[in-house]
Amino acid sequence: MNPNKKIIRVLVVVCVMFLSLVTYLLYFNMFEAEEVATNPYNKRQWEDEKFVKRGTIYDRDGVVLAETEVSGDERIRKYPQGRLYSHVIGYCSKVYGKSQLEMKYDKELLGQGDIAISFNELRSGYDLTLTIDNDLQQYAYDQLNGREGAVVALEPTTGKVLAMVSYPDFDPSAESLEKNWNAIVEREDSPLLARATQGLYPPGSTYKIATAAAAYETGRITETFQDNGKFERDGLSVDNYGQAAYGEIDLKRAFEVSSNYAFCTLGYEMGPEKVLEEAERFGVGKEFGFDIPVEKSEIQYKKMTAQDAALVSIGQGQLLMTPLHVAMMGAAVANGGKMMQPYLVDTISTASGLTLSETKPAVLYDVMDAGCAEYLDTLMQGVVANGTGKSCQISGITVAGKTGTAENETDQDHAWFVGYAPAENPQIAVAVLLEYDGGAGGTNAGPIARNVIRKYLQK
Amino acid sequence: MGKFKGLNYRRPAYLLMLMNMFGFGLLFVANSYNPNILYVGAGLLGLFILMYTIIVLCRMGDKFIMLMACMLITIGVLLLCRIKIDYGIRQIMWVAIGGAAFFTVYVVYYNIRFWNRMWFLYLALGTGLFLATLLFGKVVNGSKNWISLGGFSFQPAEITKILFIMFLACYYSGSWNKPFLRLKPKWVTMLGTYLFIGFLVLQRDWGTILVLFAIYIFMIYVYEKGYGFLAGNVGVAAIVALLGYKFLYHIQVRVSAWLDPWSDIADKGYQITQSLFAIASGGYFGRGLGNGSPNYIPEVHSDFIFAAVCEEMGVFGGAAIIILFFLIAYRCFKISITAQDPFDKAVCLGLTLMFAVQTFIIVGGVIKMIPLTGITLPFVSYGGTSIVVNFASLGIIQAISAKEERGTGGAGHESK
Repeated sequence: MNPNKKIIRVLVVVCVMFLSLVTYLLYFNMFEAEEVATNPYNKRQWEDEKFVKRGTIYDRDGVVLAETEVSGDERIRKYPQGRLYSHVIGYCSKVYGKSQLEMKYDKELLGQGDIAISFNELRSGYDLTLTIDNDLQQYAYDQLNGREGAVVALEPTTGKVLAMVSYPDFDPSAESLEKNWNAIVEREDSPLLARATQGLYPPGSTYKIATAAAAYETGRITETFQDNGKFERDGLSVDNYGQAAYGEIDLKRAFEVSSNYAFCTLGYEMGPEKVLEEAERFGVGKEFGFDIPVEKSEIQYKKMTAQDAALVSIGQGQLLMTPLHVAMMGAAVANGGKMMQPYLVDTISTASGLTLSETKPAVLYDVMDAGCAEYLDTLMQGVVANGTGKSCQISGITVAGKTGTAENETDQDHAWFVGYAPAENPQIAVAVLLEYDGGAGGTNAGPIARNVIRKYLQK
Repeated sequence: MGKFKGLNYRRPAYLLMLMNMFGFGLLFVANSYNPNILYVGAGLLGLFILMYTIIVLCRMGDKFIMLMACMLITIGVLLLCRIKIDYGIRQIMWVAIGGAAFFTVYVVYYNIRFWNRMWFLYLALGTGLFLATLLFGKVVNGSKNWISLGGFSFQPAEITKILFIMFLACYYSGSWNKPFLRLKPKWVTMLGTYLFIGFLVLQRDWGTILVLFAIYIFMIYVYEKGYGFLAGNVGVAAIVALLGYKFLYHIQVRVSAWLDPWSDIADKGYQITQSLFAIASGGYFGRGLGNGSPNYIPEVHSDFIFAAVCEEMGVFGGAAIIILFFLIAYRCFKISITAQDPFDKAVCLGLTLMFAVQTFIIVGGVIKMIPLTGITLPFVSYGGTSIVVNFASLGIIQAISAKEERGTGGAGHESK
């Protein structure tokens, strides 16, 4: 018996075994390596920091928001403003990795791409200058005063983020994070959630801005409504806030008093197609790039009915938006219908002050034409002048806005306000969300927005 | 031997020397001019030239296997010097001893004709080594497989691998057909195999178990008529493996660390994830010799050295090592196929399978293709026993190859 034939078959098996090793190695490198290499447990990511002093982050006026202190081989990331930027700048921990700007701009902060001329000499990473106004950020934080929610302030004409606060927050210093991580993660009010950018909430009546835009586009702004306080069609029944009945009202008055009857009727009659189209124009369901991770606002229906359209038209149903997106909605009206691409990082520069890149404002979506924006502007001024948003009046400045009181899975409504000022020449747009607040948007969220606007304009 | 044939082996030999000089030269520069690195490189180069000259001048058969093994050793020592210079220095000591073992084994194997009649000796020696390990052994990394003799430690399991292969070859070469205690040799061989495996289970040396079992299964496949016996053995092994998975915590940990190491990076998945981090950070071409951080990987100098190769020399460097091993296996298969003597043929096949299976198990484990079982990567990993035994195995293969090259002039095994 000659075993050579079978030996050759064994050789073939061995050949396949070795081939599978090479194939798997290549497969791993092609499809899995990137995710594996950026795992926070991969200590190699921190090696660059040995030779680099991580860049400093400044507010728009040069106030230091984050800096690295070097003592020997130690690198300590300091946040002089404490918790104020935990949801904007994020953290930078050897154990838990990086988040927000510290993560997204990691390469820049480490000055990568720079050619190291000498070994073992400490290089400086690039510095970031943010669009944020530190005073305003602090003021907004104080205004929130420990209530869960978010405040977002934008410059309508550019999309610059002037302030962005989410609460609850946490101490982002690595030392505190590593000590308290489990407690932070297990807390029921989820302090790690950046509510302004990653919290999804029903926008409530603030979304009537979009419905009114749809009404304008379909030529229904001259309609009047017989508001008896309750919208009832096909078994769907929606009350006005506080069961108020407003009698015969036109669209402008319906917007000012935030009549659910009128806007449900509009949504119901315009139908799912128009309501979805308008939502898409405002960017609902679309991703947009931002300097930190942002959740996509969404309408989740497999098949939308007319009742669903009625609910979405008053910002309820399966419509969910982030506070940032609601602020962008207000800013779009202020900017003549053009929604600007929001941004946080204004310039990237070297430690010696040489500017490497500067963000240019860009239009994100052409939401509506100027006529429509002008019409919505009058409606929103009316809300503050003699509607649900009277709490937002500032003497000498015309404020435009829209309140919202959004029902949710609990019996404590979310309180919303979105507005901008001065109406003639808008310089700031603000959205305020108070999570599970239980009160009306006009009474609770409105004053925060007013104070933030006043503070900014008085500067 | 014609001129053309002479060129054939000289060119790769020059490449090997070039690789040695470039490698150690670069490491010398990258590692802040530590002169020890140059000494190690020069020592290694000297050893190669010496060994290779002897092989060529004495017409010792295949000239490529040793070349490729030396290439693997160069890469291994290069990385060991980079991981910790002490490892590199001690490793070339082992390479020198291994080289001596290579020639000794070559001469002894070549000149003795009755290897095929000593199955009882192999079995008794193997059992003796296992018993000694169990009685006097010390536990390293959860496996009790080291023996210390007067300040000098070695792993008996490495030696028993060769004994086991010789033992199998006695029966499968057809030289042993007398029953022992009324048991047919086939069954004695099987019992002997499971005796060895049983001892290894007691030592928790899962890697070696896999190697021995795979060699046995391939041997059955090649030599037994029909597939019933093969299927029976595989079937029983599968059932035992399943039971082992059910009841042995050791095995469960390994399987769960293979399926999802990411859920427990800090603890059970630590070794394998550190290895994957290294490979992933290396990319296709590696971070460069001296630029990576292989020291984050546990056991990087022995079982996990392949991960360090991938980090510093890239996936292509890793693939090159796999291909080198495949070429060695291929040359050895060729010697096995051309061998006239049935005992030589079986021994050569067994040793070839040992190299191939061992490489597959440890490389596959380190890249998470199969569950990880600790075992050394032949010629690359640090380790005295491993290097010496692998050289000795190569000595046997070289002797078989030399017999073929010289025709029947060598010592064929007497058959009864």
